[in-house]
Amino acid sequence: MRILLTGGSGCGKSTFAERLARALPAPRCYLATMRPYDEESLVKIKRHQKQRSDAGFLTIERETDLGNIEFSAHGTVLLECMCNLLANEMFDEAGGERDVYDKILLDIGKLEQSCDTLIVVTNEVGSDDGTYDESTARYIETLGRLNRALAKRFDCVAELVCGIPLVLKGQLPTGE
Amino acid sequence: MVLVIGGAGSGKLDYVKSLGYSEDEIANGRLNDCKVVYNLQNIVFGDPERAPELLEALLAKEVVVCNEVGSGIIPLTQRERLAREATGRLCIQLAARAARVVRLVCGIPAVIKE
Repeated sequence: MRILLTGGSGCGKSTFAERLARALPAPRCYLATMRPYDEESLVKIKRHQKQRSDAGFLTIERETDLGNIEFSAHGTVLLECMCNLLANEMFDEAGGERDVYDKILLDIGKLEQSCDTLIVVTNEVGSDDGTYDESTARYIETLGRLNRALAKRFDCVAELVCGIPLVLKGQLPTGE
Repeated sequence: MVLVIGGAGSGKLDYVKSLGYSEDEIANGRLNDCKVVYNLQNIVFGDPERAPELLEALLAKEVVVCNEVGSGIIPLTQRERLAREATGRLCIQLAARAARVVRLVCGIPAVIKE
């Protein structure tokens, strides 16, 4: 089963995704994509690590190239999150930019083959005035397209609003 | 307490008025003895670090109205990022203890928790 969880910043996606994953079959793998580039991201990473520490997750930190991860057994994989993954794949440190839409979909397709349940956390970044430079505009547009492509082929899509899951497609497992 | 959320211009204030509240019962961007707090996000953005302290006072209100502020691109300044997160986290706590949560989209109220 493949589940896409979306929502704005601070809407409770991570907490909900982890609760969901805990109720699904082990082994459970947390696939972390956040690049620890400053104090603020380290604080966020530590908060997420603390939330997971008692839940028996194996954590794999991978900023790019999710298609070639070797998993020892099928189980539940929680990928967090698309917005970091896209930024990591799309922009390099020298300021270069690549078209990574097909690559990311291919990598996630391989992930889908490697586990029984895949939960992907993504983000809503398109609901503001949208007056950005071309590069940021391409990022917003690409994330929107990736979200649409995943939503189309995944079994379940839910939006988190104030910690409340609103199911947009399919059904969440175990009565959530 | 009823929590009313939605984007800017989604019809939250009209909805609150449709419940029978008048202008002088609605406090805009501040906490006083009014039954309704409107534009909670403005209070949080004024002092994001103290947002968690607002929880109990807000739970004692009849209606709390807040913009959904987390669905745009991540802001460039740390202060804005923290304020946005603080608004979201406060709304999660309010929603968990609210009697009802209503989300406005294009003026249409959807009850997402009852």
